[in-house]
Amino acid sequence: MKVVHYINQFFAGIGGEDKASTLPASREGAVGPGRKLAAALAAEGHELVATVYCGDDYAASERNAPAEILALATEAGAELLIAGPAFGSGRYGIACARVAAAASAAGIPALAAMDPSNPGVPEVAPAVAVNSGDAARHMGDALTKMAAAAAVLAKGGTPGEAEGVIGGASAGARRNSLAPLTAAQRAVLLALSRLAGGKTTEIKLPDFGHVAPAAPIADPREAVVAILTEGALVPFGNPDRLESARAKHWFRYPLTGRDTMAAGEFQSVHGGFSTVVANADPNRLLPLDVAREMEASGEIKALHPDYLVTAGNGTGVADATHFGVEWAAELRRAGVQAAILTAT
Amino acid sequence: MVPSPVALRRLIHRVTAVGFGDATGFEAGTLSASRPELEALVADPALTSVRLSWVSPGDSARIVKVLDAVEPRSKGPKGGAFPGFVSPAKVQGRGETHVLRGAAVVAAGFLPRAQEALVEMSGPAAELSPLGLTHNLVVEFEPAEGAAWENVDAALRRGMLRVAARLADATAAAGAPPDEVEEIATPGPRSGQGPLPRVGAITNLQTQGAFKDVFFYGHSLAGSPPVAIDACEIDDGAIVSGQYGHPALRNPTYVHQNNPVVAALRAADTATLEFAGLILSPEPVDQAAKELTAAHTARLCAALGWDAAIITKEGGGNADSDNSLKMDALEEVGILGVGLFSEMSGPDGNAPPLVSPPSTATAMVSTGNYDERLQLPAVEKAYGAERFALLDVDASAAMEVPTAVIVAALSPLGWGKLTASGADMVSE
Repeated sequence: MKVVHYINQFFAGIGGEDKASTLPASREGAVGPGRKLAAALAAEGHELVATVYCGDDYAASERNAPAEILALATEAGAELLIAGPAFGSGRYGIACARVAAAASAAGIPALAAMDPSNPGVPEVAPAVAVNSGDAARHMGDALTKMAAAAAVLAKGGTPGEAEGVIGGASAGARRNSLAPLTAAQRAVLLALSRLAGGKTTEIKLPDFGHVAPAAPIADPREAVVAILTEGALVPFGNPDRLESARAKHWFRYPLTGRDTMAAGEFQSVHGGFSTVVANADPNRLLPLDVAREMEASGEIKALHPDYLVTAGNGTGVADATHFGVEWAAELRRAGVQAAILTAT
Repeated sequence: MVPSPVALRRLIHRVTAVGFGDATGFEAGTLSASRPELEALVADPALTSVRLSWVSPGDSARIVKVLDAVEPRSKGPKGGAFPGFVSPAKVQGRGETHVLRGAAVVAAGFLPRAQEALVEMSGPAAELSPLGLTHNLVVEFEPAEGAAWENVDAALRRGMLRVAARLADATAAAGAPPDEVEEIATPGPRSGQGPLPRVGAITNLQTQGAFKDVFFYGHSLAGSPPVAIDACEIDDGAIVSGQYGHPALRNPTYVHQNNPVVAALRAADTATLEFAGLILSPEPVDQAAKELTAAHTARLCAALGWDAAIITKEGGGNADSDNSLKMDALEEVGILGVGLFSEMSGPDGNAPPLVSPPSTATAMVSTGNYDERLQLPAVEKAYGAERFALLDVDASAAMEVPTAVIVAALSPLGWGKLTASGADMVSE
């Protein structure tokens, strides 16, 4: 079978974060980690015919990027698509997930490899997600698993746990069920068990990983600054129907031509706090008035022309991580150096 | 171990049928309500009209826009139930309390900040809510034009508590012997008398202002340090909810009256543990106050000689941190904290379950994943509103909803049997 491999600009050897806006492109044969993958695939009789790559910022924030990448893969004759491994990298993971999902939806068997904690995992379906481990030190193992899963896919089969499959309705998913005892009764039993030296719990401590804060910007007077909010501040009437709780969406609204967030033109639809004060002066959720003053006085170089917004109220960690990765990719592409995200 | 003396006798009257009649009363398991009498109890300048309806388990019915629910209780002719609202704010929890088990008064309708909440009276989701299993007197209302929403809320709360008290008063006055008598005690400090561990309950109350507040003797606990109380007081309605956020993660007054953690600790008292008491704590809205409250709670548990505490919350991720900080603070002073958490693991159960987990403590009980979807069949009749606002569909239609919208389905106080588990179930 003809296999096309998708990787990001870094693994394609184009460059690091400075090249993250690289447009989708294609090369014949294997590139970077694809060489070892090609060897493993060849052993099963499959040929890695081309490598498609793209910058992470472009791939994760441009709406048409997955379709553009898929078009390049199809052009190269893809009968099977392999994306990654993306490890724990959020933008790369989301890109791999969307490319694999698009391929699978178009009838090309596809898989994407990443860590189970990667925010891309929920987007892999209907393609297959393979566990790559969380960092590049697992590269060798990851490529072996990817080749094994690809071999199963090529035969029309469904890769499973042995091939490192994660995501979808995997065995790791937490499902609701009714226990014989109430939660209160189980809590009492757990307390007694713990006091007697037991170690059990019903919820494993989640590992959110760690985000290293960015270094301070050297000179704010040279910086393009964005203002963002999770305060659910939307144009009056909430035309895009942003959820007031458990948000699955975020939106982008223009600030061009505005010096203030006028009462009556914007409203907060947040379900987690009393919005009366925020609606009386929406600048206090999104400080456009002050930001414009700072822009005029030269304290900042410019204000980013859009603001990004979601509702941070009962939002799942996976969704919030996803939004964060997409926002970062979009703002970086737009040349933003600093962002102020107001929380409620 | 010597049991503590009886402090309160619950006289249980089992409600097996309900209806409307000329007079409010209770006979042979049938609770009858006089519509004009009870509607007059709710009447208030802030309300234009009030409508009462009974719905029972098994009915093809749904209640949407559910606000609070109350179990009818009475202290008899001298009064005393729901102190701070129906009765003067005097300390309660002694003597006898009539309990109409199997019945609830349920308020339903629009209030600002209230998140769309529903109860199914039949079908697969009925058993997930305590109110899917009770005969419910539903109180619907129209606010008066121009009335402040805070006044509408206050009027509704006073009204439903008066109705609940009246139903139980009428039952007490009818003089029928109770179906069952439950005797509960207030254990004193018995440390040193036996080998059993002293385990108590910490009940966090949400304190986020209007429509997201809980009342103790009529007042919010906002700004208060944690307070140890006699657990019998909650039987008489010392805690009343005015908290309408996060439906599945809500503790209606009904669940406070029947605090499941306190009940489980009482059930084990003198057998496997000493029930060490009940601490109420606010859920402050800023981090420094959350940390101070957690540290104070740990000190209080240490001063009371507790070996372990079961910690419960009310609300979403913000409230998780109150549980987590208390678990960590307790661990720091050598006391075990077991926290009850609902999960936010995503519709497929693949996402991290908690927003704000403890740092060092690890003993957690799961009350289920609030993102998992439920299929609700169409019903013949809906109460509370004509539309189900969350999905903008007819309130009686078939619909797919997250478990998060079913009232108390993931009861933070541990009422339910729902749990979530997967391949990550581990021994630490």
